Amino acid sequence: MKMFRKHLGNLSRVSTQLQRNVVQLSTNAEASPIEETAAASVNEFRTAVANPGEHSALHVAKFYTIPVEQKKQIFTGGGLPKQYEQQIKTFTEPCLMVRSPALELLHYIKNADLTKPVVRYVLYGDNGVGKTLTMAHVLHYGAINDFLLVHVPWAPNWMKRPKEASNASQEGMLDLPFDAAAWLVHFKTQNAKLLQQLQLKTNKEYVWSKRESTPAGSSLIELVEHGIARIKYATDTTVALISELKQLSTAGQCKIMVAIDGFNAFFHPETRIFSDNKQRVTPDRITLTQPFLDITNYDWTNGVCILSVDKIAMTEGYMDSYMPRYLLGTQGFEHIDPFVPIHVENYTDKEFHSYINYYLDRHWINKTPQGFEEQLKFMSNKNPYTLMQLVKAL
Amino acid sequence: MAVFYRIAIQSSIYGCRSMSMFPKHFGDPLRKKDMEDLNKSELTKFYHIPIKAALNNHSDTVFSDEIKLKMMNYITKNGNKALARGLLSRTFEIIKRAQTERLHLSPTDKQNVNTNAEKLLIEAVENSRPLLQLTSIKRGGVNYQVPVPITKKRSYFLAMKWLLDAAFEKDKKVCLPERLAWEILDAAHGQGRVIKKKDDVHKQCESNRAYAHYRWS
Amino acid sequence: MSKTMALRVFGLNLVKTNRSLLQNACKATALPAGQTVAEASYATEVTVHASPAAIQKQKVSKAMKAYLKRATEHDEFMKTQHLEFQIGKRHLANMMGADAETFTQEDIDEAISYLFPSGLYDPKARPAMKTPEEVFPARKAAEFDETGRPFHSMFYTGKPNFFQLLHEIVEETNKLYELEERMLRRGIKPDENQKLEIAGFQVLPKDQLETQLVESIADIEYTNFSNSMDRLIASPYAYKSKAFIERYLKPLMDQSKQLEVPKPKIDEQGRQYITTYECLRKTARADVTVRMPGTGKISINGQDVSYFEDENSREQLLFPLNYSELLGKVDVEANVEGGGPSGQSGAIRWGIAMCLRSFVDQEMIESMRLAGLLTRDYRRRERKKFGQEGARRKYTWKKR
Repeated sequence: MKMFRKHLGNLSRVSTQLQRNVVQLSTNAEASPIEETAAASVNEFRTAVANPGEHSALHVAKFYTIPVEQKKQIFTGGGLPKQYEQQIKTFTEPCLMVRSPALELLHYIKNADLTKPVVRYVLYGDNGVGKTLTMAHVLHYGAINDFLLVHVPWAPNWMKRPKEASNASQEGMLDLPFDAAAWLVHFKTQNAKLLQQLQLKTNKEYVWSKRESTPAGSSLIELVEHGIARIKYATDTTVALISELKQLSTAGQCKIMVAIDGFNAFFHPETRIFSDNKQRVTPDRITLTQPFLDITNYDWTNGVCILSVDKIAMTEGYMDSYMPRYLLGTQGFEHIDPFVPIHVENYTDKEFHSYINYYLDRHWINKTPQGFEEQLKFMSNKNPYTLMQLVKAL
Repeated sequence: MAVFYRIAIQSSIYGCRSMSMFPKHFGDPLRKKDMEDLNKSELTKFYHIPIKAALNNHSDTVFSDEIKLKMMNYITKNGNKALARGLLSRTFEIIKRAQTERLHLSPTDKQNVNTNAEKLLIEAVENSRPLLQLTSIKRGGVNYQVPVPITKKRSYFLAMKWLLDAAFEKDKKVCLPERLAWEILDAAHGQGRVIKKKDDVHKQCESNRAYAHYRWS
Repeated sequence: MSKTMALRVFGLNLVKTNRSLLQNACKATALPAGQTVAEASYATEVTVHASPAAIQKQKVSKAMKAYLKRATEHDEFMKTQHLEFQIGKRHLANMMGADAETFTQEDIDEAISYLFPSGLYDPKARPAMKTPEEVFPARKAAEFDETGRPFHSMFYTGKPNFFQLLHEIVEETNKLYELEERMLRRGIKPDENQKLEIAGFQVLPKDQLETQLVESIADIEYTNFSNSMDRLIASPYAYKSKAFIERYLKPLMDQSKQLEVPKPKIDEQGRQYITTYECLRKTARADVTVRMPGTGKISINGQDVSYFEDENSREQLLFPLNYSELLGKVDVEANVEGGGPSGQSGAIRWGIAMCLRSFVDQEMIESMRLAGLLTRDYRRRERKKFGQEGARRKYTWKKR
């Protein structure tokens, strides 16, 4: 038995070395990208198919590279976890693993009838299991397939650490002007190209103050830019923009992909924002919640809604379970009912092995005694985040 | 050999033992690596010695390493070992980040870039190990700074302590792992404060070598 | 032990007070030949050699007289003790309905623990019946003749037997050195096959040496003894004086064979399993079950490894599995309670290691023992002491 194990270990080491050689060869050859992709496709853990739309069960547990410009377009304003961004920087290539929950979601989206009211998909799962990266994969699909992205990278940021809160025009409501402006910038960077192409126009006139107004028929970019320039009205602009988008998509002028990470933050019993009388405010008294709750309703068509519920979006005392019903509460659950739940789970053996190979290829794991993979598997319990943490010091 | 006499001596005071520590005739646990180094007859010596339980921060896995454990113990403050472990692994991460990025950005000098943080730490410690040390010895009412050779163990201790001291000295705004990481990287490449400190110590010893005889007389 | 000590001191005092007398005696009479021969190297029995010289009553020293008196008293005392013991034994045998002639010490112990059950914690405090030789330690025989002149040349060292022993060891060592030199000159090498194997032995511990010598010795003296034994054993020709060395060696127990490895049972799915109950570490307590053909599943109180949040504790669980190369081949179930993560993981680690013994070979068990996996870590938090800051640390000393 022991002999057999040793033999196996040697074999696997040989194979990883082979892969390394392949990569070295390709990088040495340098200039010709075709060769590189060809070499990459040889790797058992890489795939050359960079279009998420073409990913199928064949590509499960394989890495694909997001082109740099697209990564810049989609994820500059957030959307990838901070540590993953770091990893991308050190590995000098934005890579994502094709995993079954993302494939399942893509399958649903591809086969959805967009003329029907929007379908809400809810990603749920334990901590560090890859919900955000699954969403990132789908976002990439959306960006390529001409969806207008309405993407909130991490909703709890607004509830937990807002930049500034001020009183809104409505009685008893609070504004988060800077956060709203930041979101508008994010929206703009994600959709600038598409907005230019589609030439979307506003349906009605918006009067911000006595002097400022956006007339009906002006383009959406103007609306967004106004919000960015006049931070005071950023929240109102967001509300206007989102209602416009809903109308436009229902009219069939565009398709919209809504992606909100940490959606349950909108239904948290309380936020960390204080009102004038020094009391914690509930999320529904934040003006910024309104448009995003509005767009997750099913009263519009020609779009998809991807939401994720997360334990970390909650505060202490509300983190007992990761199930959507618990995290959303009655109110939130009723708001998005009916929805399609998608369970994101820990790595399978195949995915785990592929990830280890990837790390080896990127020279991230330097200690490879016999059986280290088994040990990592035991320690991390195949949880992606824990694996990432463990591998740091190896 | 000495082990048996220790046993014999200890067993005489065997009667009263404190429950907070193992009796002294218990041997230290061995690592798998040590066991492979020993030959059969040397191993048979241990058959009759009771062995202490392995420490609860030590394990023969990928995650554990002797130098890592030592470094962790030096970093630890107020018994917060979990924090020390976190700091060290963060240090390793930063080292690896820097090295791996360099490796991927310039694939031409692949051989020159070492991404193994543990090896780098070992290298850094080896580079900054002093050979001599100055101790003040009083002779005829005058204190002389006398160069004295130091043991291997102490030289390792000093090297690691200097690395840490240098890290602690740096700008307080930057977190310790980062400071330590840069210190280690510097020392591994044979430069930086620690190496300078070592050289200074050696230089002083060199200039004080006239006093060396005070060690005996 | 205290008894012999007192005796010795007493003896010394005697010697001191009677020094002048002794000296006189030495001058006056030369000992008749053949008297000193009776003296054994370490006489442990109280026997008095009454000699014809004792008839000259004038010449008998006071020390000798006192000793003779004590000796006869002791002899008589021992005789009555023996008698009492025999009677007691007979009574016990009758009570237990056994034959008094074949009633052994073991039977006595059994009878006592049956007839006089005791709840006392210390076994030494419980009722017992032993032969008088065991109860009353042996005393030295007379070390001087009736004129008060000591037999032994090292009498005035206070510990003649001990120093005699040291002397013998050195003599033996020197003999071996000489032999070695001679052999070297002749170019003959020591026989490797006959080499003395002392791996399973230890030098006689201090208390045993003391009983053998009928003398109490200090720690430093014991160190001297063990060092000189060391020198003797280290000699390449040590096998030449094997008989001598073995008198002062004690066999050690083979550690790995002390604990019996349990046989695994078979569960309803046909898998082998073994359960270790009462795995203790700090204040944690665990029961661990290991099942043999498995997939590496682990469940702790119904959860997986994520029961432990910190890396260190998980690593502890990994340690025995990885060490025995059974990671991924066995399933582990554990129930823990009490203590913190470190104690709990330590308890489970020990439990796993103990269970795994049933699934690996003897060599691996020994290896695991040497790695410190099979030792129960019974260390507990040491209590704080009054007048001190903690268990060991003292308050900062202030002069005033």
